[in-house]
Parts: sequence; C-alpha cells; structure tokens
Amino acid sequence: MPDRLHLAAHTTTSFNLSTAVKLRRLMFSCGRSGVRWITEALRTVEPKDLQDITLQFNHTSLMHGFEGPVRQQWEDLDRLLVRFWTLHSICPKVVYKVGSERDIRDYASRVMPELARRGLIDLVEYNY
Amino acid sequence: MSFSLPPEILDLIVDHLHDQPDTLRACCIVSKSWVPRTRTHLFAHVEFTRESPVGSWAEAFPDPFDSPAHHTRALTIQDHQSTTTTGADAGRWIRTFHNVLHLHVNQHPLAPFHGLSPTVKSLHLKFGRARLSEIFDLMCSFPLLEDFTLVVHGYEDDPDGWTAPSTSPRLTGSLELRSVAGVDPIIRRLLDLPNGLKFTEVVLTCGKETDFKPTTDLVSECSNTLESLGFVPLFHGEFPSVPVPD
Repeated sequence: MPDRLHLAAHTTTSFNLSTAVKLRRLMFSCGRSGVRWITEALRTVEPKDLQDITLQFNHTSLMHGFEGPVRQQWEDLDRLLVRFWTLHSICPKVVYKVGSERDIRDYASRVMPELARRGLIDLVEYNY
Repeated sequence: MSFSLPPEILDLIVDHLHDQPDTLRACCIVSKSWVPRTRTHLFAHVEFTRESPVGSWAEAFPDPFDSPAHHTRALTIQDHQSTTTTGADAGRWIRTFHNVLHLHVNQHPLAPFHGLSPTVKSLHLKFGRARLSEIFDLMCSFPLLEDFTLVVHGYEDDPDGWTAPSTSPRLTGSLELRSVAGVDPIIRRLLDLPNGLKFTEVVLTCGKETDFKPTTDLVSECSNTLESLGFVPLFHGEFPSVPVPD
C-alpha cells in the first residue's frame, strides 16, 4: 500500500485539489478573517468538468469591515473567479442565510467588485 | 356475493398512501388482509426518543420475532434515554431491526448496533464525544455501507493505537464530517481502511487549520470518484458553533 501521507503536495494554508479529475461542484464557506485558502485551493483545480463554485456567506458579521490583508485576499479571489468565468464559463454562486438580499448584494459587490461589475454574482438564499 | 380485489391491486392502492400515516392506520382496521402491506409503510421509518423509547415498542410487540421491525428501512435512535429505559433488553429489541438501510444513532454505546443489518447503506452518527475505534468498528460492520456522516464535538483516540480491519465497506457515496476538534484523526483512519475510499461527495466542517493537509490526502484518495467537495472552516471563530446534541 502506498504511503498516503505523501500522495499530494503538502500545503499548510489550503488544500490541493489537483488530483480530483472528476470534480464538478465546489462549496466554500467564507469568513471575514480571510479567503486566501479558497483562492489557493481554486488555483489547484483542474476545471475540465467543474460546473459550480458556491461561496457561502455564513454570518452577518461578514457585512462589517474588511481592510488591509483581508481586502487584498478578496481582490485576489475576485480576479480568480473572473478568470474562471472568462476561461471556463463558470459563474460563482453566492448563498446566504435568510436575511436582507440587498445587504448581501451590497457586501458581495464590495468584496468582489469585478464580478459584480460584470453581473456575475448569482445570489441564492438558503434556510437550514 | 363476496367481492375482493386481487392482492396486487390492493398493494398498489396501499403503496399510493405511503406518506399518509393516518390513512394507513385506518386501513389497518379495515381487514386483516390489508395489514401486511400497510405495515411496510407504517414502520418504514422508526424513531426512538426519550418520549417514545424502545420500551414502548417492546410493550406494543411483546414477541420480538413477530414484530414489524423487519419492515423498517430507516432507524433513528435519538438519545441515550431512548434505549436505557428498557435496561438490558434494549439490545435484544434493537437487533430485530435487521433490514435497516439507513441508520441514525445519536447515543452511546454503539455496541448494540454492531452488524445490526447487513444491508445498511447509510450511517449517521451524532454525539458529543466518542472513541474513534468504537465508531470505526461500527462502520466496518456494515459491508455495503455507502454514505457516512459523523458529527462529533470531540473524540478520544485509542492509547494503544488502532488496527485497521481486514475488510472495509464500499464507501462509494457521500461523506460528511463535522467536528470543532478537527477532522484529521478521522480522515487518517478512513485512509487506513483496506478497501480504499470512493466517495463522490465530501463535506467537511472542521475547527482546525491542520485539517487542510488531511483534506488534500482525502481528495487524492477519492481522486477518480469525487464530484463534489464542500469545506466549512470553523477555525477563525466567526461562525456559530457546530450544534451538538447532549
């Protein structure tokens, strides 16, 4: 049996999805303290069969304040998601808990301005 | 002149009522010939709770070999109180549910459920704290298991280590792991299973940044089958705690 501890490249700040050749759907839950791990994970994806990328906004505290390094992380994610759209026609879905759609849309537009400018943010409310 | 429907037609009619328990109960008192088919739906999902413990079942069906337990496809043991009220007999009654496909257990100990039904396809475990060897021994007692869900607040590793079994279930469906204590040791155990992992859907909700590495290894192990991955981090503290039963 192979040593499974060494099957994939090690990373301490995110995980590696490069080996998942049949991946179709991805869901990440976003927090105010950073999304770098999401960007890094997405950079390892082989998008051949990928159809959905879902970002879950879990907490109303996401609505308040993001500056400095966290803002930069969101900008990086925004750029990467635009590339997924332009190169692979994958439009990210933003799901949020029951609440104000207008507030969430405003927030999503602030953290992902380029996606918002292109009208690529698909908001979906969830309740569970 | 007596008139009777062919049993196949009667079965079809009863099958259409599968989601109407009140109507099914009414059917039971129409004719004895209606009872067997009606029972397959009435007892398809059985849930034992504090208010409706195994003891109530034992009182209703005193002969375990003549109970409708064999109709049950989904069995839920909601909490500890649901089986302790009958004392030592609880295990005897639990074992009559030998055709279960979907098993939900929210209590300790797990021993009474070991090998309960050879046909179990999905296993859902949810409790505050557990011993990993107990969880994996139970899981490996179901050879056809496809879906596995584990929601646990914390767990105890085995001080003397753990020996992987000689065979393990199919594990070709979905995997959901949720623990604020991190999922690393759980994934390590899964990766040690001799028949490998072929999950198509994985959702990890975890509380430690050290869970990135095992996630990579899990994805790699399921590389030819994995179609859907969800990752919900709890380690920055900005999300609500994982709801965990008592």
